[in-house]
Parts: sequence; C-alpha cells; structure tokens
Amino acid sequence: MSNDAPVTVVVIDDHPAILSGVEMWYATSSRPITVVAAGGSVKDAWTEPGLSADVVVLDLQLAEGGPVFGSLRKLVDAGRPVVVYSMRDDEKTALTCLNLGAATFLTKAEGREHLVDATLAAADNLPYMPPALAGALGASARADSPRLSAQEENVLIEWFQSESKELVAQRLGISVRTVNSYLDRVRIKYANVGRPARTKASLVARAVQDGLIDVDDL
Amino acid sequence: MIGGAAGPLPGDNPGERLLNRTVRRYGVWLRSAAVLVCGVLGLVSADTGQTPVAVGLLTPAFLACAARLALLRRPRPLAVPWALDAAVVTLTGLSQPALGGAGADMMVEAIVGIAVITFQFEWATRPVPAAALAVTGLAACVLGDVLAAPGRTPEWKDVARIAVLVCLARAAYVIVRARVRAADRAAAAGAAARREADVAAARRASERDYLALLHDTACATLLTVSRGDSRDWSWLPPRARRDLDALSAAPGFETGSVDLAALLACVPEGDGRTKVLLRTDIRGPLTMPSGPGLAIFQGVREAVANVACHAGVREAALGAWTEGRAVVVELSDTGRGFHPESVPSTRRGISRSVIGRMHAVGGSATVVSSPGAGTLVRWRWDDRSWTPRTGDGPGARDVPHPHRERAVVRLMRRQVLHGAQLAVLLICLVSQFAISIRQLTHYQDLYRPAWAQTTAFVWLAAVLVIGATHLPRGRQLPPGVRWWTVASLLAVSATCTFTLPPQWLTGDPDWAFGLIGWHALFLLADVRIRLFTAFLAAHVGLSITVVLALASPTLDELAAAGIATVSTCGFQLSMRVLVGLFRDAAPAAGNAAARAEELRTRERIHEHLQRDHKERYRALTATTVPLLMGLGYESLSPRDEEVRLRCGVEAARMRRLFAEGDAVSDPLLNELRACIEVAERKGVAVGLAIRGRSGEVPVEIRRELIDPVAVVLGHTRSTARVTVVWTARAVRVSVVGADCADSLRTGAARDPKVSVVTTARGDSVWAEASWSSKRPEESNPA
Repeated sequence: MSNDAPVTVVVIDDHPAILSGVEMWYATSSRPITVVAAGGSVKDAWTEPGLSADVVVLDLQLAEGGPVFGSLRKLVDAGRPVVVYSMRDDEKTALTCLNLGAATFLTKAEGREHLVDATLAAADNLPYMPPALAGALGASARADSPRLSAQEENVLIEWFQSESKELVAQRLGISVRTVNSYLDRVRIKYANVGRPARTKASLVARAVQDGLIDVDDL
Repeated sequence: MIGGAAGPLPGDNPGERLLNRTVRRYGVWLRSAAVLVCGVLGLVSADTGQTPVAVGLLTPAFLACAARLALLRRPRPLAVPWALDAAVVTLTGLSQPALGGAGADMMVEAIVGIAVITFQFEWATRPVPAAALAVTGLAACVLGDVLAAPGRTPEWKDVARIAVLVCLARAAYVIVRARVRAADRAAAAGAAARREADVAAARRASERDYLALLHDTACATLLTVSRGDSRDWSWLPPRARRDLDALSAAPGFETGSVDLAALLACVPEGDGRTKVLLRTDIRGPLTMPSGPGLAIFQGVREAVANVACHAGVREAALGAWTEGRAVVVELSDTGRGFHPESVPSTRRGISRSVIGRMHAVGGSATVVSSPGAGTLVRWRWDDRSWTPRTGDGPGARDVPHPHRERAVVRLMRRQVLHGAQLAVLLICLVSQFAISIRQLTHYQDLYRPAWAQTTAFVWLAAVLVIGATHLPRGRQLPPGVRWWTVASLLAVSATCTFTLPPQWLTGDPDWAFGLIGWHALFLLADVRIRLFTAFLAAHVGLSITVVLALASPTLDELAAAGIATVSTCGFQLSMRVLVGLFRDAAPAAGNAAARAEELRTRERIHEHLQRDHKERYRALTATTVPLLMGLGYESLSPRDEEVRLRCGVEAARMRRLFAEGDAVSDPLLNELRACIEVAERKGVAVGLAIRGRSGEVPVEIRRELIDPVAVVLGHTRSTARVTVVWTARAVRVSVVGADCADSLRTGAARDPKVSVVTTARGDSVWAEASWSSKRPEESNPA
C-alpha cells in the first residue's frame, strides 16, 4: 500500500456523536480516508461494506456489555488492523488490547490529535504511539512486558506527560525524529511479545524492512 | 518522714516511695507493740525481787518507743531516732539480769529478735544504720546473757538465729522492692507512651484549629484576590492586616471565659457586595470558656460569609440563648439552600470552620439545609463538658483518666503480692533448712514417735516445692492445690503437737510451731486476712489448749509460751497485715503517679504547641506573610496581575495543606486535586491523567512534588495537563501549562531526593518533579 493511497475505515461505536466527530477529523486528512461503514455492533465489520475496509476503529464499550476483547481478538485473528478507540483510560486495558494485537490504543480524549495519524499508520502496518498508551507502557510493571532501556522508558513517560514531542526533544536534547524512533522501537518490542498475531508479525516485518529496528534488538 | 527530704519529685517511683513509707511506719508500730507485750509478759514471769529495777529499765524502753512513734510525724535528724532505737534494745538487754530466769532470757530474745527485724523495715532506705542497729541488738542480747549468768557462755545459736532473721528481713524487703520498682517502671513506661499520645492528640487539635484559622483568614483573602473579580478593593487592606494579626497570635492558650453575647455582637456583616444584614436575637450574657466561645464565634463568622457568597440573600437571623446548661447559637437564612451531603469534601468552609472546630472543643454543630428551603446552622455547647482546671492548655482536658489509674493500681497490687509471696517463700526455705532442721535433729529423742515429726518436716519441704514451681514464674497456685495444701498444714500442726510431750510445746524442741505459719502465709497471702488469722488461731489454739490441758503450766511458763507466740505467729500475722496495708495504699501511689503524669503531659503539650506555632509561622513568613503585608499596607495592588497570580499560588498551596489531613487512600492525588480545584475555579481547564500503581509517599516529599504544580497552575491562563506516573522506582508528577504568564518561576526542591526540571517552549511551561523511592545505591548497583 503506497503512502498516499486512499484508506477505507469501518467505525464500530454505538454513539452517533462520536461517529460524526470521527468523520469530521478524517475529512481534514491530506490523504483521503473514507468511512465506508459505521454502526454500534461488531457485525458491521464482518459484513460488506465494512468487511473490506482497510482499518477497523473499535470502541471497546458497546451497548450494555463489558469490553469487547473477544471481538477484538477475532478481528485481529482475521488479519484486520484495529485501532482501539476507548473511553477507558487505564493502562490495564491498553496493555490487554496491545497484547491481543490491536494496532494501537487511543483514548477518546486523544481523538482530535491522534485518530487520523493512528488510522493511517494502522493502514500501513506502521507503529503508532499516542501519549495515553505511552504512559501505560512506561509505567507497566507486568512480568510479560519487554525490557526497555532507561531512555526508552523516559521518552515514553515524558511523551505521556507533555503530549508534545518538541518538548520531549528539547528536554532530552535530542531531535523529534529520535523521539519518534524511541517510541517506534518500544511499540515493536511490544509487538514481539505475548500472544502471536498476524498484525503483530506484519508490524515487526515492516519495521525491520524500514530499518526502524535491528533484528538483533529483538 | 526521715529520708524523704532529698528524694526525687513527688510522683516519681510512687510505688517504691509508698512501700518505704508503709514499712517504716508499720515497723515502728510493730516493734513498739512487741516491746510492750513481751515486756509485760517478761515482768509477769520475773523473779519478784528485782522487779523495780526491771521496771526502771523497761519503762524508758517503752518511752523510747513512744517517742519514736511521735517522730514518725515530726522528722528529726537521723541521730535522734537512731539513738532511741538503740536505747530500746540496749535497755531490754540490760533488764535481763534484773528479771532473771529463763523467761527473761526468752523475753529479751523475743524483743531483740523482733526489733532487729523491724529495724530493717524502719530503716529500709538506709541499710547501714539498720545493720548497726542489728549489731547493737545482738550485742545487747549477748550482754544480757553474760550479765544474767556471769561465767556462762552466751547462747550463740540464738544469736545466729537472730542474725539469719535479720538477713531474711532485709532480703524480703529487697525482693518486694524489686517487684514494686518493676511496677513503677512499667507504669512509667505506659505513662510515657500515653503522654506521647496525649501530646500528639493536642498537637493535632491545635493543627486543626490552625488550619481552620488559615482557611478563614489568609486563604479566603488570597483566593478572592486571585480571582480578581472585585472592582472595589477598599475592604482588602484592613482584612489583610486582620488576617496577619490572627495568624501571628499564639493559639490555644486562652484561659478564663468570654461572653459569647459580646463576641457575637461584633460578627462582621461584610462590606459592599458581600454585606449581610444580621437580625440578631442574642439573650446574653452567655459566659463560657474562651475555647468553645471563640470556636462558635469564628464558625458564625464563616457561616455569615457563606450566606453572602452562596445563599443569594442579603439577610440572615442570628440567635443565641441558653438551654439548661447548654449554650445554643443559630444562624438561619431563607436563601437558596443546598444538599449538605452533596458538598464536595474539598469545600472546607462548613466541615472545617463550623463542624470541625466545634468538635475540637467538645461541642457540636449541625447544618440543616435543602435546596430552596434556606439553611440553618446550629451550634451547641454543653456546660457539663466544661470542667475548669487549675492549669491551661488544650491538652488539659484530656487528663486524668480514671481507668488508667486503676490499671496502675492493679499492676502495683499484683507486683506487691508477688514480691511478698516470693519473700515469704524465701523465709520458709531458710527457716526450715537453717533453723528448724537443727531443732528437729537435736531433739530426735523427745518425739513420740520420731518418724512422725520427720514425715511432717518432709511434707513441709514438699509444700515449699509446690510453691517454688508456681510462684517464681508469676503464677498463682490453683485453688484446689491451695486449699488441700492448707488443710495438710493443719494436719502437720496437729501431728507435731501430739507427737511432742506437752511440756515441750512452743519451746525450742517444737520446731514446727514457728514454721508452719510462714508456709501458710505464702499460701494465703492473696486471700482475705481473716482466713490467715483463722489458720493461725487454729494452729496456736491447738498447742495452747494441749499445754493447758495436759502440762498444767505455771504462770511464768504460760508467759514464756505467750512470748513465743508473739515472737513467731504474731510476727507472721503482722507481715500479712503489712501486705494488706500496702495493697490498700496502692491507689494513693496510682493517684500520685497520675498527678505527676498530668503535670508532665501539660508541660510537654505547652512546649510542643509553642514550637509548632513558631514553625508554622516561620513557614508562612517566606510566602504568605509578605503577600498579606503588601496587601495590608498597600505596597502590593490587587489590580496587578503578578500579585493576583502570586495570591493564586499561595491559595493553592494552602488548599494542598488543608488536604493533607484528609483520610484518603491516595493522599498525593487528593492534594493534587486540591490545587487543581483552585485553578479550575479561576477558569483554567485542567486535564489529569495517572499511570502506574500508586505507592506511599511521605508528606514532606508530597509537598515538594506538588509545589511545581501549584506554581504552574497558578500562572496558567487557559489549559493545563497534570500527570502522575508511578514506575517501579519513582513517582513523577508533571504539569504542562499552556499560555503561561512570563513571571513563572519554579524553585528547586529543598529535599535532595526530589528533582524538579522545568522546560519552557513559547508560552508553554512544563515542570516535572520526581522522587525516587529507592535510595540511590539500590537503584544504581554501580
């Protein structure tokens, strides 16, 4: 998939206001993003036109039930790139989604800033690290988390704190590019642990191919 | 009192002091009684020829005893009582040749024997004079023997027996004193712990008062300035000056009483837009202690300010009256009201200034309100809770505690009993194996049959073993064992009485006569005295009855038996009385300890409150005091944005300080929210995000971590993001303020373990404070 090809999206969210907000943000993207289907049930992602969408944007909390981790797992197993877009702002949920194979995890508060970029990155099998997720990874004390270097952890936490890569770069005396490469590396490390999934494999493969990460690092 | 003049403070070691006083007084009485009784019995049994000389010698001895009794109340230099005591034994010894005969020998021996023992109690705190008196007594005894029968060797075995008894008496005193000292130490340790608790409670109460004051004065003023929504600032300088006065006054030392009616008459009604017209119905005078009076006054002041801010009306009714012994104050308005339950815990006006303050002084305050139905605040303070004290200070109301005294008394009694039992056990052991065994073996031929007496001796030894297995470990004998053992002692008494020819009963061959009482004493020390008395009566009665019935004794033989009874069983009974006396006196020791404790507690509280106050005021002098000074004397203008920002930061810091006292699971977050709330009231949109599992952070570190947040939020005009990240090693508190005022400056943390980093980019300022919970060597293995 080339970097300016149009991207199609299916949005699974049971709140109509969210949907219109999402469409509005997508409209501002320089690379065309089309919402081909939307609905309050995961079924919409399994039937046309949602079935052929490039990216699934999934709200974890649908209707009355609990978080739809099962649906997320099925979508990931089918090889669909999923952007989890949730009201939930706790690190446990974020880490669980990542472990299941979600392309990225966004809180609703981060939608305006990050949904467009996260969707495009998911379409291209590229890593994407919004601040809320970075905070979750930086503070994670789980035994199955990959080992991070001190600088990687620092970049994660400061990105979470400041929500500004420029501020992080300025404080650490590095370039924004370097900040990004730290974030990407951490994302790939996470893709390489836990439950195997095709989406994770393609993320790692793409990262190695692009030289984002050295095979030896893994 | 003899040795008390240079002693420690009253209340130090109260048990030991009481023990010494009791044994001293009691020793003199016991000896005087023994001298009188034995002396009279000696005169009865005396050879008639020399009686006037004997009376001439014994009468001064009686008088010396009487003088000594009088001296118990009027202390004199030590030489005087010592000389009197020495005179008693010397005169007694000299009277032996005048009285003549075996009865005189017994009398002298009995008197000297008892006197040298009681000297060990009378002079318990001065072992050297006591020992010297014992030696004098023994010398008098020997002298009497020598003068009565020149050429005959004195009876050294009796001298040795008395010397052993002297040592036993001293040992008994030392054992009991050791237990009493242990009780004193335990009570002192407990008292020290309670004192710390009382001091801590008083400091907390004073801290609450102080925070309430800060809330009503400086914090309210600074918050108002920081919001900057007033056009007319003329109210500000006098208010700032008043706040300064209130903060610098030392808290908690008001004594005496105030007229609440007079205080309420000058509740400020506010100025300008915050003016409230008070319709008052105050039925004075309402005289009450100043603590609760001021608490009500300050609460009313805050509540009136609340009416101005929140009720939406310009009028309120203030009433005050007495109901029985209670003082009641009510403030009501017909404003818009509110749900008392729905007031967030961070709004401290009601909870701290009105309710918390009243609770701190032992009164109550209630708030009745509902939306649309106005608000009624009611203060009530009950006179019964006011017990005027001689001292002052907030902690004084916390003492004394009767149950604490009772605990001290119980402890003291238990220890005295235990010590006495141990001492008696020792006396039994030594008497049986150093004195009685010699008599038993020496007079084997007299006993009919001898094996019965030997069996009795072995059984008494077995009783000692039973006692020795229980008592040293602080356990009491099981009741069954105790009563069967007592019964067996009576059996031993009967056995020994009936297997010895009656003419020898109570004499030297009757080894059991003086011994059994000691065994019974350690078995019966902790039960009512009449049980021990009954035992002794049975034991002595049996011997005397047998003597009277079978031996048809002469008068002087009877007198000799009487002397023997007094010098052994009478002495045992006296010991039991002594234990009882001391146990009864234990509450006095408890009271003395409690009074000393109260005094110390009050001193400590006073000292701590003064220091705390200075410390708190010093903390304010760096920040709040200069601001209030500037506002009060108009060198700083509330129209200056810089000044308003500083006020906002100080108000946020105070809010954080108020939140420190909240009982919450995550105090760091609670205090952060207190700061955020101040910024939000100013119109700043603050986002808060937390990552990681929260842990413990000491309060002084929390202050350092949150301070940059207070400063940045105070300077932010539009939006801010506050985050807390807990990692395995550290906690990192960060704030990013957009659109910040130029004047922002975050200082370095005072604690070296907290690092603060600030980054500015355009209008944005990002400050982060982090604290590593592990020590550097732990997180850095290098």
